[in-house]
Amino acid sequence: MGDAWSDMWTYLGSDAAWTGRNGLPLLLWAQLKLAFAAMAIATVLAIPVAAFLGHVRRGTLLAVSIVNIGRAVPTYGVVALVLPFSLRWGFGLGFWPTLVALVLLAIPPIFTNTYTGVRGVPADAVEAASGMGMRARELLRKVEVPAALPLILTGLRVSAVQVMATATLGAVVGYRCLGTPIVIGMQRQNKGPLLAASILVAALALGTDGLFALVQRLLVPWRRQPAS
Amino acid sequence: MKRQHIVAGLTVLILFAATACGDDDDTDASSSGNEQREGPTVLIGAQEFGESAILAEVYSQALEAQGFQTDIVEVGGFRDVLFDSFDNGDVNLAPEYVASELNFLQEGSATSDVDESLGLLQPALEERDLTALEPSAAVDTNTFVMLTDQSDELSIASLSDLAENGADLTLGAPPDCEENAFCLPGLQQVYGLDLSANFTPLELDLIPDSLEGGAIDVGVFLSTSGRLTEDQFTVLEDDQGLLAADNVFPLASQELVDAYGGDLDTALNAVSAELDTEGLIAMNARYDIDGDDPDQIAADWLADHDLT
Amino acid sequence: MTLLASGPLIDWEWIGEHLDVIRAATVEHLQLTAIAVGIGFALSMALALLALQWRWSYPLLAGFCSVLYSIPSLALFGILVPITGLGTVPAVIALVGYTLLILLRNIVAGIEGVPAPVREAADGMGFEHWRRLARVDLPLALPAIIAGLRIATVTTIGLVTITAYVGLGGYGDLIREGLRRQSAPQASTLVILGTGLSVVMAVVFDLLFVGVEHLATPWARRPRLAPIEPMEPVPVAAIPAGGSLSDG
Repeated sequence: MGDAWSDMWTYLGSDAAWTGRNGLPLLLWAQLKLAFAAMAIATVLAIPVAAFLGHVRRGTLLAVSIVNIGRAVPTYGVVALVLPFSLRWGFGLGFWPTLVALVLLAIPPIFTNTYTGVRGVPADAVEAASGMGMRARELLRKVEVPAALPLILTGLRVSAVQVMATATLGAVVGYRCLGTPIVIGMQRQNKGPLLAASILVAALALGTDGLFALVQRLLVPWRRQPAS
Repeated sequence: MKRQHIVAGLTVLILFAATACGDDDDTDASSSGNEQREGPTVLIGAQEFGESAILAEVYSQALEAQGFQTDIVEVGGFRDVLFDSFDNGDVNLAPEYVASELNFLQEGSATSDVDESLGLLQPALEERDLTALEPSAAVDTNTFVMLTDQSDELSIASLSDLAENGADLTLGAPPDCEENAFCLPGLQQVYGLDLSANFTPLELDLIPDSLEGGAIDVGVFLSTSGRLTEDQFTVLEDDQGLLAADNVFPLASQELVDAYGGDLDTALNAVSAELDTEGLIAMNARYDIDGDDPDQIAADWLADHDLT
Repeated sequence: MTLLASGPLIDWEWIGEHLDVIRAATVEHLQLTAIAVGIGFALSMALALLALQWRWSYPLLAGFCSVLYSIPSLALFGILVPITGLGTVPAVIALVGYTLLILLRNIVAGIEGVPAPVREAADGMGFEHWRRLARVDLPLALPAIIAGLRIATVTTIGLVTITAYVGLGGYGDLIREGLRRQSAPQASTLVILGTGLSVVMAVVFDLLFVGVEHLATPWARRPRLAPIEPMEPVPVAAIPAGGSLSDG
């Protein structure tokens, strides 16, 4: 390990680590890009549908199944499955297959928590609001979603950390991100870049968690919901 | 509802268990019929690409037919990892390539003359307690390949053309390309072409499809790759002689060779005498295109050449 | 599924000829899962007992496990491999690491969730601390513990596929072969098989655990749907007494 540790410092001290297309900053940026894209798409897909279903109080089975199946599907496999299609349809390597897999990974926590949150809004609050003349869309926007916010944020947080961490997998299908030095490093003798990238990714995942924790505390300081 | 859960689960579990119980797969080390020789097990290192696995099987089966005990070790990487494995005794024999080996040990020394290169290689190997046995006629170098359509469009037929017109094209090659003298450094040195900014590391077997799908512009294939026969691919000419005599040869530890006093040499030399580029291409084609397993491919080749 | 379209989506002939490969992958996958969850459970139990004995240690322990959980698997391998080399050791260490948080959390929450009156009654009946733990607390904590084991197992089964990058893989090895040998006719078969079998195994174990949950604790009420919580240490004091903790 001493070897790898000193290899890592050598690597970090070299130009190669910081400049050019294989430099850490660019790899980091690539990872962030992928993660953001996946979260954005997953959020847009999951929240509206889940909120609506929660509002009409239908679809518990769906919410439960999505989580169970999502947990059972290996992201690695999905990436490998999508790759040939991506190539054939001209979407290339790397980014798109991984994006598909990451979106699938991100949806379950966001979906389930939004559904549970919206559905869990006390019935009397909803009645009172609709009694005041609010129509469905208004209800959702002004009453249910804000009430469900803590849970929605929690779901986003869990998703974000998973996505940020798993984006590393893009490297196995040629996406140049922080996973690339790791995957290549497994096959090489010099483990310096591998170690550097690994530590960086770990820090990234932890940082994402911390960031969301902060956002939660800022946006919903009055309560943190335990599992109900 | 609960009972159905349990029954379903148990049934499938039992099915899994049924397949799991039963004979364990035999290891490679069973020798059939011939007298077992006394001596160290031959540990053959296979690198992370198909041809290496096939050649490792060829050596393994040929030796076992002569009474040696062998085992194939997947080193999990390329040349540098292979050398580590030799160093710590995990491996004592491996199929390797003359010119690439020489360049790995002594940058820039290899030529297109195999005897000359070999002459330079032996002393370098001796320093590491290794030795090269007789090389075969089979040659496998890196080749740089483009889609025929694109090469026509951009008028790139040779590596010099690439240096002129294609410096901003993307290159797809195995991960060791950045240090492989017959890859990025070589292109830089001989052709003044620097593709490192647009280099995507890819598994060898992923490269043809990536090239076909347009994800990369230039791909590194092995010159013996079964897919080179396809019209859609054009090999760029190495007009300035970057690629050298990469003949296949058995790399062995001195210790192993000494332990068997010449019998190992004889057995492996017999294999090398029969191995040629055409044969290698045919074997790779079976691996790449037919999807056959390395052990079957090796067995058939050995049988065809009366080596088992 | 390759661009050459050189093979059907699932090559049954190939499967027929390579049952031994599939069986070996299954065995490896099961073994890795069993070892990881087994060691993880033992470790978590030990950590949980520590945390229950010395309350102040819980946030520390859970915090450590939480950090471990957040590290992406490939990265964790990356940190371990220079120390341990490739193979079973880094794979098991990483896999165990990922089970710790959920198991620790659920064991502690489960035991903490034993209603105070019950504990007091047991103490009153003369149970010593450890006997009470074993005879009263743990059985009542069973739903939470089994729920934790369920999630840990299913998660581990998915993660085992990535151990293909340290030389193992179970079903992940099939996926990796399929990724590598794109031109071969069995490429899509390998990927579909590897992914599909992994899903099947996860679902099977999930169902098994659900069954065990019902069998073992028929008296416990189980909410069907619970929101997904971030993997953070739950403050010990915040566990509602008498509640059963189950995750989504």
